[in-house]
Amino acid sequence: MQLKKPIGGSLAAATCGLLGALPAAPVVAQEAPRWEIDSSLLYYGEDGERVTDVSLMVSARRAFDEDRALDLTLTVDSLTGATPSGAVPASTVQTFTTPSGKDSYTVAAGDAPLDDSFLDTRVALSAHWRAPLGESMRWSAGFSASSEYDYLHLGVDGRLERDFNLKNTTAYVGVAYSQDDMDPVGGAPIPLAPMREVGNLSSKAGNDSKDLTDVLVGVTQVLSRRSLLEVSYSYGSSDGYLNDPYKFLSVVDPVSGAPVPGPAGSGLDLYVYESRPDSRTKQSLFAEWRHAFDRDSMAVNFRYMTDDWGIESATVEARYRWNISDRSWLEPQLRWYTQDAADFYRTVLFEGEALPRHASADYRLADLDAWTVGAKYGHRTDHGEFSVRLGYYRQEADATAGVAVGDLAGFDLVPPLTAVIVQFGYKFQL
Amino acid sequence: MTALRNLVFLVFAATAAACTTVQPWERDLQARADMQPDAHDAAIDDHIYFSKEASSGGRGFAGGGCGCN
Repeated sequence: MQLKKPIGGSLAAATCGLLGALPAAPVVAQEAPRWEIDSSLLYYGEDGERVTDVSLMVSARRAFDEDRALDLTLTVDSLTGATPSGAVPASTVQTFTTPSGKDSYTVAAGDAPLDDSFLDTRVALSAHWRAPLGESMRWSAGFSASSEYDYLHLGVDGRLERDFNLKNTTAYVGVAYSQDDMDPVGGAPIPLAPMREVGNLSSKAGNDSKDLTDVLVGVTQVLSRRSLLEVSYSYGSSDGYLNDPYKFLSVVDPVSGAPVPGPAGSGLDLYVYESRPDSRTKQSLFAEWRHAFDRDSMAVNFRYMTDDWGIESATVEARYRWNISDRSWLEPQLRWYTQDAADFYRTVLFEGEALPRHASADYRLADLDAWTVGAKYGHRTDHGEFSVRLGYYRQEADATAGVAVGDLAGFDLVPPLTAVIVQFGYKFQL
Repeated sequence: MTALRNLVFLVFAATAAACTTVQPWERDLQARADMQPDAHDAAIDDHIYFSKEASSGGRGFAGGGCGCN
């Protein structure tokens, strides 16, 4: 851009000089941008020394005409910190074996067991090509890939769009397929097998994988000169190894709530690795309404999701874009989320009860509510647009019903999660 | 949750009946940059919430693509 504009401006001035006319603005304006670059730097930090993620995302779009474009995106994530293991606090010191099976760590009495051996870097890449198909249709296709230390994702997707009614209505259908391979540290645990002592990998197996297929059908409808509504339905199916290989459950005494002894000679209490079904089917209904005022605009969206694990969730998001001036804007953002627990979610397992076929103490499958409050500020300069977004995320789970026995009654079994989101953005054209 | 589901279907039905044809030269407001969804915000939000909640997708593909903790 720094190279092209002065040259364009000089050519325009030279031409005008030759013709003896005043400089004409359209000469410069006709220089269509070659590449649009969008970059974001994200800091996501949870309280209590839990997860911290620093992520850089860079997208490049080359538009060849109104309907033809190439999109490339690169994301690099760096994750550190500790994450809940699924075990519950106890009134005694608890000892756990690390996922690799090569070491152990202890958690003080009364503390929430966190696995702090987690450190990862993720690199993700995607590329999409979009092109017209006849007068009123467009198609796009692309691939995505991401790699982590213990995880590899490869996916393809395609989408077809058609306009109707003077482009007041656009219908679309999309399909995505991916295969994800997992190579967990120390091996993928055998579901419901007990945690073993250091050096004993008899509860671990090798690698595993899962396939994901998504179908998306939607309509974007212009409601009026100012309003637009998008409604979509999506169906997603996952098959394969759907466990989180680093999550397990405490097995406790049904009266005292205290941990019970683990395998003989292990020196550990009894913790069993989680067991989720090997398939999951999700359905979502999504709607977003966008409205333009004379100066400002707003958007509200809603999502309802249900799956065959017994989870139902609802999400509402709203944002109001206050265009303070031609160059500056401020956008307050709100989000509310609620979900029911999965049928097999168990905060703990009790000694003596029949072992269920499926069980997980992953707080993300619990009955929970979450809120996000944030704001984004943007400012356009002659060269591009920068923005900063601040967000506060709070999540609270209700996971104590029927399990707060004995010692457990005095503990916060699933502590609330609070996170801060800081995002810097810069968009420019080359 | 059932009441919520009924409300959603009611809203969809009502809005589907409320459409008017807007001519191409009347698209000035809808073409404004602030009326377009921000792809980076959406991708970052999807990644965060996919890692912390049991739901994903809706706006786009539910996907996977990470062994998020």
